[in-house]
Amino acid sequence: MAEQFEPKIAVLCCNWCTYAGADLAGTSRMKYAPNVRLIRTMCSGRIDPSFVMTALKDGADGVLIAGCHPADCHYINGNHKTMRRFPVLHTMLAQFGIERDRVRLEWISASEGDRFVEVANEMTETVRKLGPLDWKSRTAAGNVA
Amino acid sequence: MKNDDPRIGVFVCHCGTNIAGIVNVDSVAAAARTMPFVVHAEEYKFMCSDPGQALVRDAILKHRLNRVIVAACSPRMHEPTFRKATALAGLNPYLFEMANIREHCSWVHTDKVAATEKAIDLVKSAVAKARYLEPLESRYVNVEPKVLIVGGGVAGIQAALDIANGGTKVVLVERQQSIGGRMAQLDKTFPTLDCSACILTPKMVQAAQHPNIELMTYSEIEEVKGYVGNFTVRIRRKATFIDPKVCTACGVCIDKCPWKATSSFEEGLSKRKAVYRLFPQAVPGIPVVDKDACKYFENGKCKACEKFCEPHAFRWDDQDKIVEEKVGAIIVATGYDLIDPKLPSQYGYGKLKNVITGIEFERINNATGPTAGKIVTKEGKEPESVAILHCIGSRDRNHCEYCSRVCCMYALKFAHLIKEKTKATVYNFYIDMRCFGKGYEEFYHRLLEEGVKFIRGKAAYVTDQALTDAEQGKLIISAEATTLGKTLRVPVDMVILANAMTPQKDAADVARKFGIGRSPDGFFLEKHPKLEPVSTATDGVYLAGTCQGPKDIPDTVAQGAAAASVAMSLIQRGTVEVEAATAGVIDDLCSGCKICQDVCPYSAIGYEVDKRIAEINASLCKGCGTCAATCPSSAIVAKHFNDQQILAQIHALYAQEG
Amino acid sequence: MRDFPSPLIEVSEMIADSGGSSLDLCYQCGTCSGTCPWNLVRDFRVRNIISLAQLGLEGYEGEDLWLCATCNACVDRCPRGVEIVDVIRSVRTIITQAGTSPKTLGAVLGSVKANGNPWSGDSNARLAWAEALQARPFTERSEYAFFACCTQAYDARNVKVGRAALKLLKAAGVNFGMLDGAEKCCGDAVRKAGGQELFDELSDSNIEMLDAKGVKKMIVGSPHCLNTFAKEYPDKGGRYEVVHMASLLAELIKSRKLRPTRTFDGGKVVYHDPCYLGRQNQVYDAPRELLKAVPGLELLEFARNRQDSVCCGGGGGRLWMETPIEERLAVLKLKEAVKMGATTLATACPYCVSMFEDAKTALDLDSFRVADVTEIIADAVEEVRPS
Repeated sequence: MAEQFEPKIAVLCCNWCTYAGADLAGTSRMKYAPNVRLIRTMCSGRIDPSFVMTALKDGADGVLIAGCHPADCHYINGNHKTMRRFPVLHTMLAQFGIERDRVRLEWISASEGDRFVEVANEMTETVRKLGPLDWKSRTAAGNVA
Repeated sequence: MKNDDPRIGVFVCHCGTNIAGIVNVDSVAAAARTMPFVVHAEEYKFMCSDPGQALVRDAILKHRLNRVIVAACSPRMHEPTFRKATALAGLNPYLFEMANIREHCSWVHTDKVAATEKAIDLVKSAVAKARYLEPLESRYVNVEPKVLIVGGGVAGIQAALDIANGGTKVVLVERQQSIGGRMAQLDKTFPTLDCSACILTPKMVQAAQHPNIELMTYSEIEEVKGYVGNFTVRIRRKATFIDPKVCTACGVCIDKCPWKATSSFEEGLSKRKAVYRLFPQAVPGIPVVDKDACKYFENGKCKACEKFCEPHAFRWDDQDKIVEEKVGAIIVATGYDLIDPKLPSQYGYGKLKNVITGIEFERINNATGPTAGKIVTKEGKEPESVAILHCIGSRDRNHCEYCSRVCCMYALKFAHLIKEKTKATVYNFYIDMRCFGKGYEEFYHRLLEEGVKFIRGKAAYVTDQALTDAEQGKLIISAEATTLGKTLRVPVDMVILANAMTPQKDAADVARKFGIGRSPDGFFLEKHPKLEPVSTATDGVYLAGTCQGPKDIPDTVAQGAAAASVAMSLIQRGTVEVEAATAGVIDDLCSGCKICQDVCPYSAIGYEVDKRIAEINASLCKGCGTCAATCPSSAIVAKHFNDQQILAQIHALYAQEG
Repeated sequence: MRDFPSPLIEVSEMIADSGGSSLDLCYQCGTCSGTCPWNLVRDFRVRNIISLAQLGLEGYEGEDLWLCATCNACVDRCPRGVEIVDVIRSVRTIITQAGTSPKTLGAVLGSVKANGNPWSGDSNARLAWAEALQARPFTERSEYAFFACCTQAYDARNVKVGRAALKLLKAAGVNFGMLDGAEKCCGDAVRKAGGQELFDELSDSNIEMLDAKGVKKMIVGSPHCLNTFAKEYPDKGGRYEVVHMASLLAELIKSRKLRPTRTFDGGKVVYHDPCYLGRQNQVYDAPRELLKAVPGLELLEFARNRQDSVCCGGGGGRLWMETPIEERLAVLKLKEAVKMGATTLATACPYCVSMFEDAKTALDLDSFRVADVTEIIADAVEEVRPS
């Protein structure tokens, strides 16, 4: 049997909600796919679209952006800015011919350990089905420098 | 330090078997030794223990480490612990970084190989970031020992007295010419039926006479600048045209004034003079001249008031004055408004004259009110029947989704007062009776004993279109008595609408001025709904009373006292630490486009006019980094989470080697 | 032992799935029952229907499920945002699928299925009403297609309204064309009366026909057509810009393409808001502006008007069902109109016109006039004076 593809998923998330939600999943000893790696910022508003593109370019097969629920932002409304940037990001992905589902935006609060687990697993499965990203051949095919 | 080569030390924690049971800690330490700039790596059973911390301190000195990484639990748990340990060895605490291999790894995975691989990745990521860590300075600022309280209702008065009694200076600013707020308009209070004025006015007088309280009535906040411990507030003191130092508050001018205007305090039910007090027990008692109603300001004639003023207190050239105050903490207690009763148009307010609001009833029932306390219809007759309609605009997705929390209880109070003063039958149309406070359910029971009729069904509409003789000349309420499953038409002489409490009309402006968030209902947002109920997103700005959400008097007073205690605790501390991981501008890169100003939730970004660049007020900045992500010129650095550091983490995790 | 009712959650879920998904939001305050105009003339517990649906309990027989005229008054006032009319429609659909809907409605649905209209009218003669007026057929150069309501095409009284409309459109130089008679009932009453499957057939057929002709904009004389085309056809893939005659006439008068110059001689006029024009589509001002533009016309208002207007009782399939005279809302309203001194009742919906004409007969009000606003404007414009 061929070894199944293990996608690499980067999680860019805020300190106060999603990072804490992932902590809660830990303290509650919930289990999820070991494919995800978290990179912490203080607020999801800090997440620059270039971080996402860099992660994909470097070799991540999918990126999850996650922060506090709208209206729950620790910094009043940083997540609104994250939300507004997201469509731009999808437009960029489309230009590179990258599937929408590889980059996902989710609101996961500090109390939603179960939600974090669910999203981490879903994301892993979705990207597993999409297969390796293979940035180089895509950008070459699309004639993008 | 910047020029020194990074010398990184990595410490891998077993956390007993919590980590070591799944993750091969030896492999992690071994892998760490091969990572760039790592000069030392070891593992230990419990890094957070005293010997564990000592390991860090010793290694810093022995191996001349200038960066430290502990791979253990969540930084939300022990980052402060290890920062301290790092600092004890003379290293800047911000040169410490944590890798979370417990909550994010050993506890959530079962496959030992995959978990160990992931732990190594997480350490790699931390090492990559550590290389670019920079020392940051913790800063402390002194706290100005004075508190500004905005709003002189019962919440603001309570907070002012508590703080002033503790020996701290207070500036109490009130928009109206008298303190007292909504509570001053109420007649009786539930469930005890104390006279509202009787319990409030002593507090008002106390506040006015307190040596530590400076009362600024007829005043509004123009601008708030600064940050926790050091706010500068500009206050507009509106012209009153009467010199308060000279006026004896004798009131002769009010008697002599021939001009009238509608009284807002009496909810438009009666008139007051152009020179007037808000209400008889107003504090301060000095009247003001309403420029819009006074004929002198229209045609330069009259001054009837002045002719009789013995102390010569009138100052016709009086102008608004702006005063500046420096305070360490601010309590916002700006109160509530009521929904326009015409908005739920089906109840006929404004068209059917005997449909009134609850607050109008308070005035009608009050001895100093428009009917001298007589409960009568607009025709001057005692009503034979009165209907009180609950939830008008409240619990209604067409208007306000929330429960206003006081209406059930004041409806009971009204029913009692009507029963006491008239022979009227009283109907309450309700959805649910919410009598949750101390003595509230007992009060409900008392009203049942008094024979008040309760109909479980929300009133659908009020009409004067009679279908039967019995309905002629009456107001008819259509509602389903849901417990019976019968739709009723109930004819009455007077309808009282329990209309919803809402945020003040200028809540959005006030929120912006003080840097407070608002919840979806429009009320001001507390920092945490349970554990930080009076704090806000802006340090040093606190909330009290109904500006945060509908509440009754006991809860309002309790919150006023709570806000006083947190403000006092800040003042007593004397100094505050301000966020070190703030944003900073790279002057050469900034194009001065000001996009960053729009995204900053704290108005922490100013503009240097001379250099035409953005300027960050480090004292206001909370370090969210949104500006850094937004800046089109990459001219803003989010310290401790800068582009270089985050990209290094990404490269470490995903870049293909070789 | 007695038979205890117990909740049947599957039934509740079935109702939710067929379009009544908001039913669980109800907190049983009774605003719907108290608002429902039926309660002016008889008892009708709307709340109880929702309560039964929440628990999946039976008992609709006693609840007069078929009474609801879908006037939307309760939905407008519901504090929880329950789409009550959708819940009732959903229950009706389930009962219709089970084959136990009322006989009269069965006959109406049968006619719609067979003839494309509820009036048992010959489908080949759909355009007969307009023949004498020689309106041009719709071509790709037409801006609008005129979509005549079945009631305006087959019901003798309402045919007059349709004709007045065509005359006005021609006089104003509106670039419109007639459809070729292949159009079928829009399906509004069918759907509201539980005939979801038949509605799907009708809408598919109409959308295919309209798209084949390249129709983008439509003029309708019935608020029910307006609502169905504007709000229900998009879900089926049919997207058209739809304008009701009253709105269009108001624009034509404002732009002086129509000039109502003849003095009104019908005494005082009270305007009745059709539920589907007012509450459902927020067209309150246009018909009033029209009436006010007629010289000498004095406009009166019902005590409950605009958003609070009381229904005529003709929607949701009620037009075809029998109601005792003393329980007719149109009769109640007509009495109110007479009492306030009105001699004409104006409205803007063929169902309302029918209901009020019936009420007029029932009350023996020979000298009282029931008119569509279109007719009143046609009377007032010189060029289209009725022959």
